[in-house]
Amino acid sequence: MLLPVVEYLPQTVLSRLEIYMTLESEWEPRIVGFLCKWCSYAGADLAGTSRKKYLPNIGIVKVPCSGRVDPLFIVKGLRMGFDGVLVSGCHPGDCHYQTGNYRARRRLAITKEFLEYLGVEPQRIQASWVSASEGAKFAEVVNEVTREVREIGANRLFADERNGTKAAKGS
Amino acid sequence: MKEMEQRLQKEARALLEQGKVDYIIGFEPGSLKFTTTPLITKDKEDVERLVINPFIVNNLSVFLTELQGRVGIVVKGCDSRSIVSLIQDNKVVREDVVIIGIPCTGLIDLSKVELVTGKDRDELDDIAWQGDKITVRFDGEEKVFPTEEVLFDNCLGCECPTPQEYDILLGEPRPAAPNLTASRKNLEKLDGMSSEERWDFWKNEFSRCIRCYACRNVCPACFCKRCFVEESEPQWVLPVPRWQDNLIFQVIRNIHVAGRCTDCGECERACPVNIPLRSLSKRMYELVDELFQFKAGMDKDAVPLMTHYELEEAEDFIR
Ligand code: SF4
Ligand code: SF4
Repeated sequence: MLLPVVEYLPQTVLSRLEIYMTLESEWEPRIVGFLCKWCSYAGADLAGTSRKKYLPNIGIVKVPCSGRVDPLFIVKGLRMGFDGVLVSGCHPGDCHYQTGNYRARRRLAITKEFLEYLGVEPQRIQASWVSASEGAKFAEVVNEVTREVREIGANRLFADERNGTKAAKGS
Repeated sequence: MKEMEQRLQKEARALLEQGKVDYIIGFEPGSLKFTTTPLITKDKEDVERLVINPFIVNNLSVFLTELQGRVGIVVKGCDSRSIVSLIQDNKVVREDVVIIGIPCTGLIDLSKVELVTGKDRDELDDIAWQGDKITVRFDGEEKVFPTEEVLFDNCLGCECPTPQEYDILLGEPRPAAPNLTASRKNLEKLDGMSSEERWDFWKNEFSRCIRCYACRNVCPACFCKRCFVEESEPQWVLPVPRWQDNLIFQVIRNIHVAGRCTDCGECERACPVNIPLRSLSKRMYELVDELFQFKAGMDKDAVPLMTHYELEEAEDFIR
């Protein structure tokens, strides 16, 4: 399962999530990663060009800034059946737009805690700071996140027992 | 209560007569016993209908963003904080409102009264404050109840009974005496559950939601012109009331009002299918306090929570 990369219009984000979900396979953790284009995305790129091996369980959505990540993206990802969501941006102080990642941090903090209060497993919502030079760190983050998500198993949160279908294609 | 009511009517009349406000927003008796309904008027003769009693549940600040001109508004402590929050968000101009504050003793939850008396609300003759207790009259008898048994949960935990911001105060300021345990009763139950149990609980609750959006419409913190649930390009949330989408709607709504919600309790009261919405909004209220030491609507010059950040703050969850 090699998942391609996507640009960041909301329509594209949504349709890309749908495509990822229709890829057939045995259960393998499926993780969607929202990477900021300046740091983490470039970091992922570097991981590739420097031939760092990492688990192929992540599908990447490129966003202009971690501050662009609406909590709705995260919840929608879970709703569509992704087993984990990763949000990754520039380290504090390094945001291309100065403050985007600080804002993302606040938003992520309440989103994560609030979803945990509702009953979502903490491992499903992940975040990291990965700079453009940290290809190795990116590979490590993906491996770690995949391992943790594999441990807690498939996302059945939004699976609808009433008609026995697996969760929840959005529309 | 009676003196407060008379003073309110006098002040409201004066404001309209002197042309200091275009509208008065307050409460008038509702069509059912022990209820009130919002009164929005330009007519000074209407002020006689204004009441103050322990059933003035609405958070009237929700109307401020819809009215043009200067408005005189009757508020309780929590409502005044909603106004302050709207001022922070540049939704309301301070000079355009004349805030008539009630030092609030708390509101009476009729379902609790029914529970403790074993009577239907129609069978009750009178409910009134007596000192710091509540007396209920029915069948020719009078029974006294401590406030914990009959006030709304959010009122029991009220941190701000005296309005935070006011131009006229209809009485002496009241000190806060929050009873955290009593006000967190429903949340405590959830705290004791495992994640799966909690998820099942909410799944169950939200299978009842009919997506009437009453919770959103009564909430002064929900002021977007176009709500994300009504977007169709792309359509994030289905308009059909399935529990999954109902739950997502409420989760995102709570995230949107984080730092604006003053725990007024209106969403829970408005819900026609009795989903315990305050167990969500109150948790979010606590979370923003724990993480960012922020309480909504306390200071009109404060920067709104989500437009601000500190260089060092909660990030142990980030790798
Ligand atoms: S008020 Fe209750 S039923 Fe109506 S949309 Fe809100 S949660 Fe659903
Ligand atoms: S979310 Fe509920 S409790 Fe909070 S301000 Fe809105 S109506 Fe009031």
